[in-house]
Amino acid sequence: MIKLLRKAVRAFKNQELARKLIWINCLLILVPLAAMGVYTFASFQKAMEKNVGSYQLQTLKQVSLNIDTYMNELDRLTLTPYSYKEIMDFISSEREPGQPLSLEEIESLNRFVSSIFINGRLDIMGVSLYGEKGASYVVLPESQYITTYKLDESADWLKQARSRFGQPTFITTHEVSSTSGMSYQVFSIARELRSFDTGRTLGYIVIDIDPVSVRKLLQQAETSAQEVMYIADAQGQVVIRRDDAQPVLELGALSGQGVLHSSGNQRDKQLVAYVTSEITGWTTISAVPVRELMKDSLVVRNSIALAMLVCIGLAIAVSVIVAYRITLPLRKLSRLMRKVEQGELLVQFPVYSGDEVGRLGHSFNMMVSKLSELGYLLYETEIREKDAQIAALQSQINPHFLYNTLGSISMLAEVADNRDIVTMSNNLGRLLRYSLSNRKENVTLRDELVHVRGYMSIQKIRYEERMHYTEQVPEEALGLLVIPLIVQPIVENAINHGIDKGIGSGNIQLSAALAGNTLTITVEDDGIGLAKEELDALRERMQHSKELGGQSGNGLLNVHRRIVLHYGEAYGLTIESMPYQGLKVMMTLPAQRYSEAR
Amino acid sequence: MARDMVRRWIVAAVAALLLSAALTGCTKANEEQPEPEPRKEVVRLDYWTPFSGGDNQFMTEMVERFNKEQSEIVVVQTNSRLDDYYTRLRTAILSGNAPDIAIIHTTSMPQFVQNGYIEDVTAAAEQVGLDLSQLNSNIRESTEYNGQSYAVPLDTHALVMYYNKKHLRQAGVLDEATGKPLIEPGEQGFRQFLEQIRQAIPADVAPMAMPSTRIDSVWLWWSLYNQLEGGGIFYNEQGQAAFNNPQALRALAFIDELYKDGLIGANINDSFKLFYDGKAAVLFLGMWGTGAFEKSPELELGVITVPVLYDRPAQWGDSHSLAIPKKHNMTDEKRRAAMLFSKWMVEHGELWAQAGHVPSMTKVVESEAFNRLEYRNDYAAAADYVVYWPRHPKQWSMIEILIAEFERMIYDKQTPEEALRHAQLKVDAALEE
Repeated sequence: MIKLLRKAVRAFKNQELARKLIWINCLLILVPLAAMGVYTFASFQKAMEKNVGSYQLQTLKQVSLNIDTYMNELDRLTLTPYSYKEIMDFISSEREPGQPLSLEEIESLNRFVSSIFINGRLDIMGVSLYGEKGASYVVLPESQYITTYKLDESADWLKQARSRFGQPTFITTHEVSSTSGMSYQVFSIARELRSFDTGRTLGYIVIDIDPVSVRKLLQQAETSAQEVMYIADAQGQVVIRRDDAQPVLELGALSGQGVLHSSGNQRDKQLVAYVTSEITGWTTISAVPVRELMKDSLVVRNSIALAMLVCIGLAIAVSVIVAYRITLPLRKLSRLMRKVEQGELLVQFPVYSGDEVGRLGHSFNMMVSKLSELGYLLYETEIREKDAQIAALQSQINPHFLYNTLGSISMLAEVADNRDIVTMSNNLGRLLRYSLSNRKENVTLRDELVHVRGYMSIQKIRYEERMHYTEQVPEEALGLLVIPLIVQPIVENAINHGIDKGIGSGNIQLSAALAGNTLTITVEDDGIGLAKEELDALRERMQHSKELGGQSGNGLLNVHRRIVLHYGEAYGLTIESMPYQGLKVMMTLPAQRYSEAR
Repeated sequence: MARDMVRRWIVAAVAALLLSAALTGCTKANEEQPEPEPRKEVVRLDYWTPFSGGDNQFMTEMVERFNKEQSEIVVVQTNSRLDDYYTRLRTAILSGNAPDIAIIHTTSMPQFVQNGYIEDVTAAAEQVGLDLSQLNSNIRESTEYNGQSYAVPLDTHALVMYYNKKHLRQAGVLDEATGKPLIEPGEQGFRQFLEQIRQAIPADVAPMAMPSTRIDSVWLWWSLYNQLEGGGIFYNEQGQAAFNNPQALRALAFIDELYKDGLIGANINDSFKLFYDGKAAVLFLGMWGTGAFEKSPELELGVITVPVLYDRPAQWGDSHSLAIPKKHNMTDEKRRAAMLFSKWMVEHGELWAQAGHVPSMTKVVESEAFNRLEYRNDYAAAADYVVYWPRHPKQWSMIEILIAEFERMIYDKQTPEEALRHAQLKVDAALEE
């Protein structure tokens, strides 16, 4: 588990910065919003259910009150016998069942019943009078009066009526049949009638009522189509239903008032309100499917969900855009950094803002510019160091000391009459003077050749006339300007390569030719020459190497670079050679006359 | 920079799109609310009836069928016992709580036509295509005042003689071939007929059933009185009571004797139930009992018109008609609905005929459906010999006076002569009021 978590954290850490931002944003938006939505809806639903429940109870109380008012009217009707003396007399009289009534009795009973029928409401279906001593007068719907009824001692209603001390008792809906065979649903109110003088029970009055009137009262309540409403008696038996098609809930006997949820699965769950009437003892019950009640809250829930979805969608879209926008300069910076890594220092990060990224960009720019500056400084320092080295070397050899020494050697040789030493030391002195003190940029070819001849006379003495130097230079070329000390190294190279290796006759031939504006100086020897590979390597080095020749400096290379640097890539040295057939070095220079140089 | 602009546009577009999606979502949610359908309002008609003789079940069936056959009108029937019906209806009209449509007996119509308590329905009937001329003219005219119809007559019902063939057969007074009773002519013949029955049947069976109280004896008296030459006068030309005469006395005395001789059972309250249960051989009652009696297992039913004991056939009759009580909140819609209901009722007279009445519409009486019904044929012709009570606004009160006086006679508190004399005095007194 922890491993998995660690893995996830690592995976997250390796994500792109923009993705990280998006993930975090999503989490920050989604979790609180969803939690808020769920909490809001839950509390809303709770509050709504509570309100609906209490509203339902209020409505039901009103309905119950209306019914009670109606029942009170009926209750008062059952008191009418007390105000008719002849009726009380009839009830208390002793009679056989079916005993005929006298005309007066018929009249008074009929008047009494009519008064109830007419004073009461249209919904009175029947009126019955029962005496304890056998009198009975029963009027059922669509029938004439009947006097043959006997009190059924086992009837429930009778037991109830007897135990209520003159209070009326309400009898659940039951069926009565008219003489013509039609049956009617009625509920009844019964009251015990007693004598004030003796305190004894004289009889009972029962009034049958069409439940339609009470049903109308139930139907008056403004309810939804799914609402079930009915009245049940104390035993939980249905008395009157609002609509016979409606189902009856299995709630058992309820009393008092309140709101409860019917048991059952979620689909059929009902919110039940009930109120028990103190007058009838019946309980009015109303039940609404919770689903029906929550229909409105479903709309709210859907709206919340929709709004949340839209908000989340918007937020995520915005956060994606923002995340990419914020990390855009960082990604750019990282790209530039990679370029710098590859050595490209001429990069610049455009700074638009003064925030951290802007400052970072600015620092980056500073860093890159510092870096390139440092590189240049390093380079310059290197050059200066070299210059210093050279200067030091030069200063170590005092030319005047050398000249004076050479002059002394020459004088000593003259005294000793050694001509060769005199010649050598004089020539060496001249050579040194030319190479060390010549600070001019340009010299004439004549000067250069004089210098070469001086060098050669020394070499001739060294090699004891074993070599032959010939010069073939046209007169007009002698006045042309050349860079100092470019011819002697080539001749020196020819001696080193041509004669030192001991092969060849030691012939070195220098020739010059002026063709148009180009002066060509050619130095040939008949020495050992170069193999093809060596030649290629030499040419390669001349082509590409930029070093100005070190101590191991190849004279040719050095001269070539100097010419290229001085005159451009069009000029320089070219080398031709064959093994054992000598080396031929051709030098091309622009024909520069003295006046032009000035 | 240009790229930035583009991005900004995209962001704005996406935001707008999401917002509009949210808004349309909201409106859609609103549309889901169930809108109240523009359904046509059902017209509810309160319909009061005074049926208490077994015919109510047929009326209830018809109302139910009417309600089922169409969906624009709902008729809600309230039935009261006849004893209280007119008191209630009068009170309701005076207190402005009248029903939308009510049954009114032709006898009682004058008191409702006076002062305009019920509406003239001539025009309304025409509007719904109810042609009143298709009704039996005798019946129709009973609802016409000054050439205007004040109600749609539903039927005629007359007094008929029911008999239990079982008892008659026992007494040998049944013509087995025709199923008709064998009655010798005249008062004596009828008395002989009952005597023969009394001797043949058990003691707990009444030869003839007629209640000791209420209107039944008055109906029989009016029928017999009208059978006599020169009988049938209630008011004279001066508008005073004129029924205290020899013919009236003869008819009443004959009835009184039947009671006194015990040919009519003593202290009968519910003659209908008595006959229904097979405890009576002969019963004089309106035609409305037929439908109920047919269903009785105790009864081998026979029906004839009131026998002619005197000079000519005549029997009391009345008719039920559908009237619209006047009230201030009556709407044209309800009026139209009431007439549509009336039209349906008379056109479906064969259903009403099952209760026993003779339908008002000629077409229905001639129809096969009606003629297939047993017994009705036997007394259908009676419609022609029906004697209505005279048209008088206070007629019903006068009849109540007769009832009270006859009851006293039946309970042996006065002679027939006294009964007629007292009744005439009281009627005259009532006329003076």
